[in-house]
Amino acid sequence: MGDASGTPILAVESVTVRFGGLTALRDVSFDVRPGEIVGLIGPNGAGKTTAFNVVCGFVRPTEGRVRFPLIDRDGLRPAQLAAHGVARTLQGVGLFPRLSVLENVMAGGQTAVGGGFWSGFLGLPSAVRSERHLRERAHAMLARLGVDGFAMRLPSAIPYGVAKKVAVARALMCEPRLLLLDEPASGLDEAELDDFAALIAGLRQDMGVLLVEHDMEFVMPLVDRLVVLNFGEVIAHGAPNDVRHHEAVVAAYLGVDE
Amino acid sequence: MRARLAVAGALVVGVVATALLARARVAIVLVVCEALFAALAALWVSPSWRAAHPVGTRLAQTVMTVDALGVASAFVSTSVNGNLEAGVSMTIVLLGLSFLTGSSGQISLGHGAFMGVGAFAAAIWANHHAHSPVVIALLAAVVAGAAVGFLLGLPATRLRGPYLAGMTLAFAVAFGSILNAFSSWTGGDSGLQLPTAVSAPRWLVDLLPPSDSPLAAATVWLSQISLVVAGVALFAMSNLFASRVGRSMRLVRDHDVAAELAGVSLPRARVVAFVISAAYAALGGALSTLVNNSVSPATYGFALSITILALMVIGGIGTIPGAMIGGLIFAYSTSSISWITARLGLNPQGNLASQLNGIIFGVLLVGAIVAAPMGIAGAGRQVARRWRERHHLRAD
Repeated sequence: MGDASGTPILAVESVTVRFGGLTALRDVSFDVRPGEIVGLIGPNGAGKTTAFNVVCGFVRPTEGRVRFPLIDRDGLRPAQLAAHGVARTLQGVGLFPRLSVLENVMAGGQTAVGGGFWSGFLGLPSAVRSERHLRERAHAMLARLGVDGFAMRLPSAIPYGVAKKVAVARALMCEPRLLLLDEPASGLDEAELDDFAALIAGLRQDMGVLLVEHDMEFVMPLVDRLVVLNFGEVIAHGAPNDVRHHEAVVAAYLGVDE
Repeated sequence: MRARLAVAGALVVGVVATALLARARVAIVLVVCEALFAALAALWVSPSWRAAHPVGTRLAQTVMTVDALGVASAFVSTSVNGNLEAGVSMTIVLLGLSFLTGSSGQISLGHGAFMGVGAFAAAIWANHHAHSPVVIALLAAVVAGAAVGFLLGLPATRLRGPYLAGMTLAFAVAFGSILNAFSSWTGGDSGLQLPTAVSAPRWLVDLLPPSDSPLAAATVWLSQISLVVAGVALFAMSNLFASRVGRSMRLVRDHDVAAELAGVSLPRARVVAFVISAAYAALGGALSTLVNNSVSPATYGFALSITILALMVIGGIGTIPGAMIGGLIFAYSTSSISWITARLGLNPQGNLASQLNGIIFGVLLVGAIVAAPMGIAGAGRQVARRWRERHHLRAD
């Protein structure tokens, strides 16, 4: 297990988000350190997706701020994330439908490779080399997740569980220090869930992981800490076993579920 | 290996035959060209070489195509050469539009006007710098096209689909008035003549096949320079399709949120696509100015933009063969329509005859959308894939 102390990779500080009259998040604070897995849970409409979108820069906080202390950056824009080692998977699979699985995965690592416009346009050896290198890395990443047999298929022609792994492979291509997983377990069967839990647990030694999830049986054994949102507010925060017995949480969410 | 030997063998026979048949000085050029063709073809048929050298493969393909057409252009009539030049210019324009629509997923109804920008920029440059080389006039047109593409690309950062199409449409419609507003530069309604006809360097004239009239020699040279320029444009575009920039465009087209998360700046990608696309259209327009020795605003009306769009869909969106097929159709559309008019006994100045162009393109367009949504190039690719699959099955 990684060392979960030290400078956080992500710090959400007193973030409030209002859309017109609606307050989607109110004074939300939490952080993620390298080497730990943090779960963001809550009933539907609790603000989990908004929290993710704030972290990614798709939504600007009305108050408060999002910081990345480990890399000393504040509030990155979406297109800057990959280059700064922050990767996110999307709900569902979010793959590029008309690109092969291999090219989907290559897309995740393309900020890392050099080669600007002109070297690509002129077909210079440097561009060819960096493309080849990227292709090899993408193959290796698919092999690492055990789905390299699907490299040349289109996303529509692969099983859902495989597509989920391809989405993770794409996210890992930018060598993230922070990985944001949006409902990684949704739509998976029992065997795939175990597989996925093992995969995510294996990632923590290299990065901090923040995941949004509905499936409590999947989340509880996997995470080091839980942040529970309800109506846009953090109602509980702590180790899974403490949170499980927290009154507000039981009332708002878990009690209904178990 | 056997295929490689077969290609090489066939070409050696071809080289020897031409050397024996053709006149001495021309034969040297032809032998050199065919030897080059044979060498590249021999490399090209090897799958392992192709896999190891993607850029080399594209270069070989391009040089082979340019080489073959260039040699052929020396043997065909002036009118065929004229068609070849028109087709080559249009192919370059279609490459540009294909990149915009096929890769970045944006639509333009203004490519006739972008083409016009290049056509006029080249003519204006040639009128102010009478003795500057052809290449400089072409580059000036590319720069002008890129600049206009940038300006029109800026709204693309905020507009989508039909709104963006409407904006480019407005440019296409306004282009004639813009030309008129700057009539001291553009010559207004009458357009511009080039001060001196583009002429070939003497060493090339000496090498060209002796022809019965100086006019024919000029045509051959013009179609050959068009081919070389198109070859450069084609090679660069095929590189771009395969590069990081090309992939960024496809990401934006397929899934904009995921593209941003992969580090692609959406506004930047959309503007870059417009700049490249307009620069290509301008290059095609400039080439047709050089070939025709003049430019007229009537050519670059709104109808041309629609023709370009139709040609792209008929040929195949987002593919290089599709652009070439579109260019070919354009090259022969005028002459085949006058042939049809003559066969049907229509009055060439009549109502129906003048509308025939639009009717035929309309029918082709609807036919392509119904029968081959990926265009002729896409349909061809599908047929080839089926054939390969059947071939494999039989081999197993």
